[in-house]
Amino acid sequence: MQKSLKISFIAHFIILIISSITLPFLMGRVQAPLVISVDLVQIGDRTNIPYAPKVSNGEKTDKKIKDRVVTEQAPPKIVPKEKPDAVPLPENIKKIKELLEKRQNPVKVEDLTKQTSEFEKKEIFDPNKISALIDKSKKDNTEANNKPSLEATQSQQKNIVTSKLTITQEDAIKAQIFKCWNIPIGLPYNENLTVRIKIKLNPDGSLVSSEILDQARMNTAGQTYYKILAESALRAVKLCNPLKVPSTGYEKWKEMQLNFDAKEMLKG
Amino acid sequence: MLSKKLSKVALALVVTLFLGACATQQQATTTTKGDDAYTGTETVKYLADGVPDRVFFSTNKSDLTSAATATLAKQATYLKANPTLNVVLEGHADERGTREYNLALGERRATAAKNYLISNGVAANRIKVISYGKEKPANPASNVLAWSQNRRTVTVKTN
Amino acid sequence: MRYKIFKIIVLFFILTTNSFALVSVDITRGNLDPLPTAISDFYLDSKLGDNIKNLKLETKIPELIQNNLTRSGLFFALEKKSFIQRPEPAHNKPRFEDWAFIKTQVLVTGKISLEKEGRLRVEFKLWDVVSATELSALAFYTTPDNWRRVSHMISDKIYERLTGEKGYFDSRIIYVSETGPKVDRKKRLAIMDQDGYGVKYLTLGNELVLTPRFSPASQHVTYMSYFKNLPRVYLLNIETGLQDLVGDFPGMTFAPRFSPDGKKIIMSFAEEGNSDIYTMDIKTRVVEKLTDHPSIDTSPSYSPDGSYIAFNSDRSGFQQIYTMKSDGTNIKRISFGEGLYGTPVWSPRGDLIAFTKLYKNKFYIGVMRSDGSGERLLTENYYQEAPSWAPNGRVLIFYRETPTDSGGRGGGAKLWSIDLTGYNERLIQTPTDASDPSWSGLLSGK
Repeated sequence: MQKSLKISFIAHFIILIISSITLPFLMGRVQAPLVISVDLVQIGDRTNIPYAPKVSNGEKTDKKIKDRVVTEQAPPKIVPKEKPDAVPLPENIKKIKELLEKRQNPVKVEDLTKQTSEFEKKEIFDPNKISALIDKSKKDNTEANNKPSLEATQSQQKNIVTSKLTITQEDAIKAQIFKCWNIPIGLPYNENLTVRIKIKLNPDGSLVSSEILDQARMNTAGQTYYKILAESALRAVKLCNPLKVPSTGYEKWKEMQLNFDAKEMLKG
Repeated sequence: MLSKKLSKVALALVVTLFLGACATQQQATTTTKGDDAYTGTETVKYLADGVPDRVFFSTNKSDLTSAATATLAKQATYLKANPTLNVVLEGHADERGTREYNLALGERRATAAKNYLISNGVAANRIKVISYGKEKPANPASNVLAWSQNRRTVTVKTN
Repeated sequence: MRYKIFKIIVLFFILTTNSFALVSVDITRGNLDPLPTAISDFYLDSKLGDNIKNLKLETKIPELIQNNLTRSGLFFALEKKSFIQRPEPAHNKPRFEDWAFIKTQVLVTGKISLEKEGRLRVEFKLWDVVSATELSALAFYTTPDNWRRVSHMISDKIYERLTGEKGYFDSRIIYVSETGPKVDRKKRLAIMDQDGYGVKYLTLGNELVLTPRFSPASQHVTYMSYFKNLPRVYLLNIETGLQDLVGDFPGMTFAPRFSPDGKKIIMSFAEEGNSDIYTMDIKTRVVEKLTDHPSIDTSPSYSPDGSYIAFNSDRSGFQQIYTMKSDGTNIKRISFGEGLYGTPVWSPRGDLIAFTKLYKNKFYIGVMRSDGSGERLLTENYYQEAPSWAPNGRVLIFYRETPTDSGGRGGGAKLWSIDLTGYNERLIQTPTDASDPSWSGLLSGK
């Protein structure tokens, strides 16, 4: 009995090691684990960023967006996605996952405000309401985080930074890139054309580097639309150099991933 | 018992009133232009004394108005009295329509006039038909009067 | 104890896989402004003889390219006088800082040299000034007098490389040239390059000619003529000038078009007040009747794959748009809005049908999907009709008439073009009044 249990543990251990090595590869570089610090979404003053593209161009851009025809292209090729084999998790993990999910509540709040800022809602969102929500999650966080952090400090130093920009900061960056991005007008709106670009910035907001994260797609035949969109996105990033950046929190925004998605503009 | 019957009758009445109203409403929307066939004599020429050479139509229509049938009857009499004459009926449309449809509409108008002449005793082999669509307006102006003068079938002697 | 270690290890793995620290920002908006473009003069290879040098192609070709790109409304050409670098170094080794300085995003450079046997080699390069990379480099070989076509083909390549759309500059337009008073118009068939250059008249004007169309290979033209006072459809060979009556119909035939494979002519035949749609095979002369209804059926238009036909019918009581299979079956009405609909034309991309609409005494040019949904009106006017698609399915050409006064003065017809978005409405210059335009396919055949 003991022996078989041992073997079972070792086998599970091996599987976990394999999955932990391969999974981060799929997602990107293997990050060194960091300290779990509770970082709250700070709502700055009401988002006051004038959305220059809409404001300065006035009705013109509005009309453009309204009147864009829905041109139907051939249905996008369905590329079968390969599912990595699901590794069955032992029971105990599920419990811990639940705690972690609670910790991630701030993300939900951010989504809400993101929406209002994108669609330029005139109504003033009440910062107090949102901060009230955050206070709640703060409590949850401290509860949820106590256990794991204790465990963590007992073994090795594992650090995780939940780095997020404030809403105002994110809007500020978005507004700048919006102005710089000249969208190629002939692209089909219903194909999966999202270009992810990772940028590295100096503390003064100037560009250190920019790279396309789906590099393979750039050279694939039949992906000309993607290539054209990616080139326009790279131009946007370079034209916006240097970016106006927050004066603090360099660690948070020194590296950013910009997801260029022209669907909304092309669809109209 | 009686009140029940009464209410049923009342209901039936109300429903029929509604339906009647709906029916008339529909009629109102389908007749877009109504009767706007030209009734004047400004552009009219004469095949002979008292025989006008043309008939006029309402917008988008090729039905013969009573004025049109009256004129055509006179033309038929005239043609029967002159059995050696042959004619061509030219169908026209106003400029307020697409070009190709107007060609077809002109042909329809010319044919409508031709069929009336035939039914009034004129031999079919004496009558030819041609459509000019909106290409040859009688009145080049761009107003309602001119347009009504252009919606016409003109009978032209060919010999 | 074992269990605790196990928990720690498991936690370790879960938490590390979640340690994705990158801030992610969604960029879902940008601008649709014309792209700032610098088109440099090309440079001439020194070995070129004087006869070529006198043609001044080094400025003429870029000028044509610039006009094309600007006319499309998608490009903004910067002024030549602001350029810093000269054409030759710009082509061989561009100093991107010089070009970024004048605020252009892309740059076009070129070189003209001689190939053997007196043929010209025109090479162009397209540069991304912002990212400092080369986007495209191609060379064309041709005779010197064909430089306009080369310029149009280069324009198409640039357009396609930057917008993702196919180009439409290497194409021609056929139309009806109009002169004279409204009651007695003189009409002639005319063809020209899509930029208005090189108008040539194909008929003399002694009889009315209407609604011409190019064959897919652009070597033939079909149109309706009142030759000998008989309104019929004709086929004209552009090269030879020979004109043939299409079919042997006992009555008026009109509204002719070619099938996408160029083998058939589809048209209307009017008889006894009824117009139906027929096809005739050009080679075999076999005639097929497609519609059989006492209503007016006209203005047919094939889908680009030839499997469907859109047409205009008043079988519902008023002019509406219908589609049917190319064998005449499966007739479906697709226009249901208020007003009258006419002149349906299927886009070369197959996705949309453009049309003319008359509503409340105003004319509209619009588009709808091939099932009738998504109706969009692009422009409104006192009188306009007969849209025709550019080969890339993005630009529409049509004609407009202005009203005449009670004395019959004024009036007149002109060609206009408009972008699918409803923007970039442009007057197309023609030496005379013009109507019934039709756009050819790409002259290179795709």
